Amino acid sequence: MPPGSPRILPPGAAPAAQRGPMPPPPAPSGPAGPSPVPIGGRAEQAFDPPSGMVWARVSSRLTWHRRIAVLLWALPVTIVGAFVLSRMIGLAGGLIWLAVIFVGCAMGWIAAELGYRSWGFAERADDLLVTHGFFVRHLVVVPYGRMQYVDVTAGLLEQWLGVATVRLHTAAAATDARIPGLPARDAAVLRDRLARKGEARSIGL
Amino acid sequence: MHFSQGVHRLHGGTAVINALGVVVIVFVLGGYSLLITQTGTGIALILTPEVVARFVLVMLPVAVVASIVGFWTWWSVKFWISGDDLMVETGILRRRNRRVPLSRMQAVDVVRPLVTRVFGLAEVRVELAGGDQAETKFRYLGRAMAERLRAELLARAAGLPGQTPEAPERPYWRVGFGTLLGSQLLKLPVIGALLLLVSLLAFGVVFGEPGVLAAALPVLLGLARGVIAPLVMHTGFTAALSPDGLRLRYGLVETRMQTVPPGRVQAVRVVEPLLWRGYGWARVDVTVAGYVGERQALSSVLLPVAPRHIAFQMVGLVFPGTSAEAVRLLPASRSWLRAPFQKGAAGTDDALFVTQRGRMCRRLDVIAHARAQSVRLTAGPLQRLLNLGTVHVDAPPGPVQVAAENRDLGEARAIAESAAGRAHRARVTDVRTDRWAT
Repeated sequence: MPPGSPRILPPGAAPAAQRGPMPPPPAPSGPAGPSPVPIGGRAEQAFDPPSGMVWARVSSRLTWHRRIAVLLWALPVTIVGAFVLSRMIGLAGGLIWLAVIFVGCAMGWIAAELGYRSWGFAERADDLLVTHGFFVRHLVVVPYGRMQYVDVTAGLLEQWLGVATVRLHTAAAATDARIPGLPARDAAVLRDRLARKGEARSIGL
Repeated sequence: MHFSQGVHRLHGGTAVINALGVVVIVFVLGGYSLLITQTGTGIALILTPEVVARFVLVMLPVAVVASIVGFWTWWSVKFWISGDDLMVETGILRRRNRRVPLSRMQAVDVVRPLVTRVFGLAEVRVELAGGDQAETKFRYLGRAMAERLRAELLARAAGLPGQTPEAPERPYWRVGFGTLLGSQLLKLPVIGALLLLVSLLAFGVVFGEPGVLAAALPVLLGLARGVIAPLVMHTGFTAALSPDGLRLRYGLVETRMQTVPPGRVQAVRVVEPLLWRGYGWARVDVTVAGYVGERQALSSVLLPVAPRHIAFQMVGLVFPGTSAEAVRLLPASRSWLRAPFQKGAAGTDDALFVTQRGRMCRRLDVIAHARAQSVRLTAGPLQRLLNLGTVHVDAPPGPVQVAAENRDLGEARAIAESAAGRAHRARVTDVRTDRWAT
C-alpha cells in the first residue's frame, strides 16, 4: 500500500445536477484492492468507478517520480537561463528567472499530486477501465478480448523508486490505456492477469 | 500448378526490370553527361567514336553490376504455401523467413504499375494488421500467376482447398468518367482555386505582368494534386461482390485490384461535400487494418462517388444485416452557453455506432460495435465547465474517427457504458472472419 494514501470518503459527495441517465453512485464497499483515494469535486460523477466498485489506486511513489522528474528538468534550465539572463540583463534578470522557475516547480509539485490522485483502474468481468488526467479527464474502457499485448516498462527513475508502467495495446493506436506508478511486483502480477484474461477472450480483429 | 506444391519464385522479368531500373538511375544521375561535349558556343551531342567509347567504358560495368543486382533480387525470394500459412523466404546471405497465417490476412491487392504492364507483370500485396512492416509484397509475378496466387490465398483463407476455382463475382457499381470528373470539380476548395487561377491569369494578361505566373504555378500544382491525381487514380472504378469479399478495380496509369475479405472492414465514413448534396452524391472511405502509412491514402476509398442510397447500401454490405441510415441521430445537447460547442450528432443501435460531423462537408462515421477496439470518454477543462464530454469509439488507424462530441457529461458516461456493453454482446455473436466459407 502506498503510505499516506488510505482515506475513504464516499465518492461524488457533492454531485452536480445531472440531466442524462446516470449510472447509480458507486457503493464505497468494493473488492479488496489498493485503498481508494477519492477524486473530489463536482461534475466528476461521469468519471466515477462502475457501480459496486472502487478505483484501484496507484502507488503514491508516482507523485515523487513526477516531482523528481520536474526537478531534474528544472536544474539545467535554471542554470543555463540564469547564467544567460544575468549576463544580458544583470542580476535582476537572473533573479526574475529564478522566481519564474520556482513558481513553475511549485506548480509542477502540486500537479504531480493532483495527477497521481487522478489515476485509477478497475477490472470488470469483461473489460478494464482506466481513468486519469486532472485538466483533461479521461476514461478508457478496453475489452480484454481486444488486447493485442501488454507491456511493462520502467525507466531508470521508475526502477530506482521501484515502480513500473503497465501499458495495454489494442489494434487502435488511440486507445492509450496505461497505468503508471504500480509497484513493480504488482505490475508484473497485473500484466500476467490481463494477459490471461485477454487470451481467454481473444477474438482477433 | 498449385502454390502448395514445390517452391516458387518471382517472374524472371523481375531481374530485367530491376536491372533496367539501376541503369536508368545511373544514366540520369550522371551517365548522360559522358555523351555531351563542351563546345565553344555551349554543349552539344556529338557522337564521335571517342565519346561513344568513353560512354560504353563507364556504362558497361554499370550494366554488369545492374544485371547481377537484378538477378540477385529475383533469386533471393522464394515462396510457397504450407497448410494454412504462406511462407516467404528472402535473402541469400542473411536469410529471413516469414510465416503469414492466412486467417489473419486483411486484404490482397494486385497492383500493376505502367512499366510492369508493358512486360505483362503484376505486383501482389498481402496485407496483415500490424503496422507498416506487416505487408508482404511479391514484385513481380506474371499476370496469370498473380491472379492464381490471389485466388489460392483467398480460397485457403476461406477454408477451402487450394485448387478451388476463383469465386464468381457480381458487378455492383461502376463510376462513369463524367461523374468522377464532375465530383472532383464540384468542391468548394477546387472552385476557389480555379477562380483564383483565372483571376490571376486575367490580371497577368490585362496588365501585361508576367510575374503573376509565379503565383499561378503553386495554384496549378495544387489543382493537379487535388483534382487530376484522384481522377487518374480512380478512373474506371468498379466495385464487385463475391463470396471472397469486396473486389475493387480502378486506375488509369497504375491499375489496382483490391480484395477485402468479409469482416475486414473496421469502420466506414460517408462523406457528402456541400456542393455534392444537390446531386445526391456521396463518397465512402474505409478503415482496413492492413492499410497504414502511405498505403492508407492509396487504398482507403471504397466508392469515390456514388448516389447516396448506393453509398449506404455499400455500408450495409460491409456490415451485413445493419442499416446506417436507419440509426436515429440525436444532436448534442443545446443551451445558449454551449452554442459554440453545438455541433455533430450521434446515434446507436444494437449493431452500429454512428456519429455525424460538419455542416459544410457532412461526414457520417460508422463503426460496428463488434469491431470497436476500445471506448473512451474525455472532457477538457472548458468542456467540464459546461458539463460536456466526448465519447470516442476507437478503430484501428485509418481515415475514420468515430467520436460523439460534446454530449452532456452524464449522458456521455451512459453512452460509453452502453457502447462497451453492446460491443461485448456483439463480439459474442459476431461473424467469423477466418475460414468464412466453411
